Amino acid sequence: MRRLSVVLVTLVVFTLSAFKPTADKLISKDGHISFYSHTDIEDITANNYKVVSTIDTTTGDIVFSVPMQGFEFEKALMQKHYNSKNFLNTKKFPKAKLIGKINNLESVDFSKDGTYEAKVSGDLDIKGQTKPITEIATITVKGGQVTLDSKMDVVLGDYGITFSGGKPSTNIAKKVEVTVKAVYTK
Amino acid sequence: MNKKTKKRILGIVLIGIFVAMGIVLYLFNMPQRDVQASKIDFRISAKEIVAEYLANADSANDKYLQEEGDSKILAVTGTVASIDTDLNNQKVVLLKNADEEAGVSSTFMAETNSNAEALQIGDKVTIKGVIRSGAGYDEDLDLYEDVIMEKCDVLKE
Repeated sequence: MRRLSVVLVTLVVFTLSAFKPTADKLISKDGHISFYSHTDIEDITANNYKVVSTIDTTTGDIVFSVPMQGFEFEKALMQKHYNSKNFLNTKKFPKAKLIGKINNLESVDFSKDGTYEAKVSGDLDIKGQTKPITEIATITVKGGQVTLDSKMDVVLGDYGITFSGGKPSTNIAKKVEVTVKAVYTK
Repeated sequence: MNKKTKKRILGIVLIGIFVAMGIVLYLFNMPQRDVQASKIDFRISAKEIVAEYLANADSANDKYLQEEGDSKILAVTGTVASIDTDLNNQKVVLLKNADEEAGVSSTFMAETNSNAEALQIGDKVTIKGVIRSGAGYDEDLDLYEDVIMEKCDVLKE
């Protein structure tokens, strides 16, 4: 009797795992995010090529994880300001994150070559502050490879990144343009 | 005050202004740190640093990350699991054993890419670079993230 139940349990487990839907998850481990700030005094650009992202093609769930110290600036002093306690405090908050969903999943066909417009909404967490966002992303499917491109504006003040004085308060725009590109593999 | 003293004071003030301008210009144009030319802060295996992060990410961040972004320079020894190219045409070498959940993702530079290309999967190597973030399981991604190093090169000793 005991043996029978063991066999039964094993059988059930095997059957369940065989029918478990394989999550169709796309993973990108070297995504690129850049930001651009424009003021009359100077233009500032920073690049980050270490962004991790996933898209679940069955649910439309989309996640971005950004290692904040991976942003590279042209000038060392800018990079120091950016990382410092007064600005993004990257030692305390080493990662920023976007947890979102593609709302019009029905109009994106991940199995067919083409260019699709995805409406993404979700929460963006920078420096421990979470704010809702709604953005448009372009998803390109070509030869089985999926690429995501997006451009969005981030208002620094929304995430508690403010400047009371000093050079950064005049040299950095209150709103920065963020460009996202990720190439996914299955 | 005679003319001579006035001149002297003016001279001192002018020198002061020039020195201050020099310092501001130097700071403003200070070049980025040359990671490969800087000293190594920690020598560690890929397995050890991943374990350290999985055990306690906060204390590991405290140990390896610096407030102004000039975080610790590591020499990490491990086995090459993959060699890829990122969107900036930089080589990315993953140090990880097959049975481990996370590894160390090491991004090279234009100047050092060829050294990464010379590697083979399965090679045991030591890679020097600056740490940008640690390893950990991320619930939202539903996967393990690797330790991230940048400005890397193969360390020849």
